[in-house]
Amino acid sequence: MPINSNGNGNSAAKPRDLPDETDNTNVGFHNNFDESVILASKLRQHQISGGGGSAAAAAKMMLHPQFLMASARGGLPQNDVIDGSSFKGGDGSIQELFNGFGAGSMNGTGQASSQSMQHFNHPQGGAMPAQNFGAQLKPRQRVRARRGQATDPHSIAERLRRERIAERMKALQELVPNANKTDKASMLDEIIDYVKFLQLQVKVLSMSRLGGGAAAVAPLVADMSSEAGGDCIQAGAKGGSLARPSNGSQTARTNDSSLTVTEHQVAKLMEEDMGSAMQYLQGKGLCLMPISLATAISTATCHSRSPAINNNHHPLLQPNGEGPTSPSMSVLTVQSATMGNVGVDGGAAKDAASVSKP
Amino acid sequence: MASKHTIATRHAQGIRARFASRFLRSLLRLRRSSNRFGGSQSNDEGIGKRIRTDRIKIAAYAAMARAVGPRRTWSRALLFKLRNRARIHGVSRKRCLVSEKKRITRNKVVATSSEPSRADTLRKLVPGGDSMDTCVLLEETAHYIKCLATQVTVMQSIADRLLL
Repeated sequence: MPINSNGNGNSAAKPRDLPDETDNTNVGFHNNFDESVILASKLRQHQISGGGGSAAAAAKMMLHPQFLMASARGGLPQNDVIDGSSFKGGDGSIQELFNGFGAGSMNGTGQASSQSMQHFNHPQGGAMPAQNFGAQLKPRQRVRARRGQATDPHSIAERLRRERIAERMKALQELVPNANKTDKASMLDEIIDYVKFLQLQVKVLSMSRLGGGAAAVAPLVADMSSEAGGDCIQAGAKGGSLARPSNGSQTARTNDSSLTVTEHQVAKLMEEDMGSAMQYLQGKGLCLMPISLATAISTATCHSRSPAINNNHHPLLQPNGEGPTSPSMSVLTVQSATMGNVGVDGGAAKDAASVSKP
Repeated sequence: MASKHTIATRHAQGIRARFASRFLRSLLRLRRSSNRFGGSQSNDEGIGKRIRTDRIKIAAYAAMARAVGPRRTWSRALLFKLRNRARIHGVSRKRCLVSEKKRITRNKVVATSSEPSRADTLRKLVPGGDSMDTCVLLEETAHYIKCLATQVTVMQSIADRLLL
């Protein structure tokens, strides 16, 4: 079987004559087989990033005579979707395939394919006798293509699409933190969560810029103390809680009771797992800050009596009234023994944690 | 002024600086307009915090979309949405969006009866995601995530400087 060793990968010209229908004996079928093998080998090279040099090409070539042998022995144990009819289409279809590949982004395969051709010449001698064994094959047997060696144009397109998606996923993996998931589905979940998280952050940050307003200072304060090395966790303050105008005393009382309940809950959670405690706090729109900072703030503001502050009135306003922002927060210190007394300044701080509510 | 600004900062400074300058400018504009309406009283009674919050958020997204320009599908979709919102502003936006926006409905986009797959959830999150197929969607998501991250860092640093 003369093999056309052109240097050009695009030229899929196989000057061999494909047998006609009438001539479609088993030998004819194996002509198709050879072509399919060559085709598959070329596709394989394309897959492996342009061939990767002659070594890879040679390795791939070595597979094919084995494939032929094995198929001859076992009557095609491997599954190959080589529809007999697709090859009866003749050179034209195969050429189209190759032209499609050539037009694609596979540029450096010209040499590789030429090398593959030459390499194929050697095992060709070995493959020849195998064909006689394959004479037992039925002409119209449909075999499933080996993984990565399908020659159906649909499956090739599918494979291209899958590869494209895979490389995009890899690029995304570098952007998203915590991207050690190998599973595509869980990776997508991570991505979705991260996008939601970023959008939430934009929302929170836009709340904190109501110049002069009291909203969501706690996250920023928490941030500041994180630089100071405190044990600080930033929580996203919910928009709804801030926009709600709170009636002063009523809210104060209800807040007080709910806050103590919250404290106990948080203390309990903190013992087992810090992460779940954080999440619980976040769900309530609270954040954690070190007691030193909390006491600093409460002493600075000097009016640390009333617990929950109405958003409109700021009893915690600094005396001169021109402070940067008046953080209307009620500072609760979570201590193991004492109840959360509001605005404890300088109280015995056993745990280095305080819960502050914006 | 707008055209000069765009030309000057086309590609020279990168997306971060472009977004920062636009966002700061729109913030100043917002503050000036709110001052004009509310005088010197606190903005809470005048406009309402929620609306103000939303305005800032929208300004941030608009600044980001303009900084990216019409190069990306998601930025185009965002700009379109914002323009509609500015125009209609209260009348049912949904109707207008559906009618004007070119929807390429494909079989895979329209969920037949199964639960929303992950790709559909992602489509809802990324602006303009409905008219993209999976491959393009992933690419757009990558760029969108990158831009969102810069947006967050810029906003964070602005907030730090403003308040402290």
